[in-house]
Amino acid sequence: MGLRPTTAGLARWVTPRDLRQRARSVHLDDAGHGHDRFGMSRDGVALGLGLSAPLYDRWFRVTRSGVEHIPAEGGVILAANHSGTLPFDGLMIWHDVTRHAEPPRAVRVVLDHFVNLLPWVNTFFTRGGAFGGSRGNMHTLLEAGERVLVFPEGVAGIGKPFHRRYRLQRWTEGHAEMAIRHQVPVVPVAVIGAEEQMPQLARLPVPAFGSPYLPVPAVPVPLPVRYHIHYGAPVPVAGRYSPDEADNPDAVEFLALEVRDRVQALIDRGLAERQGVFA
Amino acid sequence: MIPAEGAVLVTGATTPLGQALVQALLAAGREVLAIGREEAGLEAHPRLRYLPVDLTHPRAVRRRLHGALRAGLVHTIVHGAVHRSPRSQGERAHQLNVGATRLLLRLAHESAGVHRFVFLSHGAVYRVDARVPDIIAEDNPVMLDGGPQWVRDRVEADVAVQAALGTIDAQVVVLRLAEVFGAELGSQLHDYVSDRVCIRPMGYDPMINLLSVPDAVAATVAAVQRPVEGIFNVPGYDSLPLTRLIRLGRCRDLPMPGPLLGPLYAARRRLLGRDFDYRLNRWRFHFNGVLDGRRARRELGYEPGNPLLWR
Repeated sequence: MGLRPTTAGLARWVTPRDLRQRARSVHLDDAGHGHDRFGMSRDGVALGLGLSAPLYDRWFRVTRSGVEHIPAEGGVILAANHSGTLPFDGLMIWHDVTRHAEPPRAVRVVLDHFVNLLPWVNTFFTRGGAFGGSRGNMHTLLEAGERVLVFPEGVAGIGKPFHRRYRLQRWTEGHAEMAIRHQVPVVPVAVIGAEEQMPQLARLPVPAFGSPYLPVPAVPVPLPVRYHIHYGAPVPVAGRYSPDEADNPDAVEFLALEVRDRVQALIDRGLAERQGVFA
Repeated sequence: MIPAEGAVLVTGATTPLGQALVQALLAAGREVLAIGREEAGLEAHPRLRYLPVDLTHPRAVRRRLHGALRAGLVHTIVHGAVHRSPRSQGERAHQLNVGATRLLLRLAHESAGVHRFVFLSHGAVYRVDARVPDIIAEDNPVMLDGGPQWVRDRVEADVAVQAALGTIDAQVVVLRLAEVFGAELGSQLHDYVSDRVCIRPMGYDPMINLLSVPDAVAATVAAVQRPVEGIFNVPGYDSLPLTRLIRLGRCRDLPMPGPLLGPLYAARRRLLGRDFDYRLNRWRFHFNGVLDGRRARRELGYEPGNPLLWR
């Protein structure tokens, strides 16, 4: 029993001191035993930062712009494009916001339901602050003033064919409804680079652990593309919509499309600015 | 306006939770009519009256309670009597778990003096899986798709009381308590960690919420005293990962592939006569399931404040 690795022990081993200190300072709504009610812990955040740091610093060499757009106070929804066959874009945004946005708060990443079914993976993500994407969970977290990261393209985004890269897929509207209901702004986020990291050859209709398909990538590991993460100015909600309008489909659709257009504009700007896929 | 006077009838009064509740109600200045099946272990008190009643016999219940109810002496019924062990099965268990609940609802409806009916339900009535929220609100789906009788009965009783909301004269309160952790309380997880080895599904470490007896009592007293109606979750102070619970219970953590746990714990239950039933806990050993106490905080003024005392 004494030899079983603990999250804290692993974090001490793999995470540089500065990232451990950063993790120690993240906000945690401690439910009594060093975890919040969703299972996030500072040790889990530290371990997540430590394990993702080599990818962030050396493999994808992430650059960022506009992180100051993330409000320091109150709840906020970050809405990003999604791509890359495997969800490294979510991990990189999580790492970037947790490491660089002030005050220190781990961004709460919405996971597809099937991730909850994956042993070890679900625990690793949960300890870092991710959660199963249900309306109830969103309500609870936004009410608590958390930063929530959503991918409105969902599975259609991460599995998009290579020829459709950087073109947003079907854009769900749940984030807009939540933003109106909780009167929180939406920060558009564009990830440049991820769409080329792992071109997909095919999708096998083999559901495993609830995943809708099994991707067949052209490369066994993600290519060392350079990630550029761009945060746009927040789309304001309070003052433009009343909470009651969360039940108005037209208002929800209007806001969702506004967010979608802002994300697409950020993507276009990011593509125009980048020097090359690996540069 | 509900009069503050009048006795509180407490079922299951001889259980550890029932005894603590009786003491708290007496301390709050209420008269208590305590009923239970076993011999009373309650300390004598001028405002306490104990009636031994077997709730599985409807005629006996009517005979014993008729006078007090008819005379309008009972103001509130707090019903928490239930078979604690999943090994109690069959018609007799069902009669206590469900039949007695329906009977007491009828008696409350027929008795003009009864103004409140407080039912102590269980957080286990909620469905827990990968799709439902980690933090369970009162409007979350309940387990309507079968399962062992222990769960079926609790869901049926809970639904029966819900159906009475607004249809009987008395105000109805359903308290869905998180698992009250401790010995002799019907706590599945207490029995689980009382072993030397705790087997859990490999790769999963969900968040569990546990309630202490003082917090369960505090929520129930608030439900008796406050003029509220409806369903309220009652979470406990302690929200912790399953592995931490195992450590605090000084149990050896043994992760194993999930499909093996059912047969192993079924064998343990049959061979050693233990209460822990993996079928009742399978989902919460995989997915988070913490009761959302916001409504109880807002309307009952209940806030969990009594952590469990670990050995």
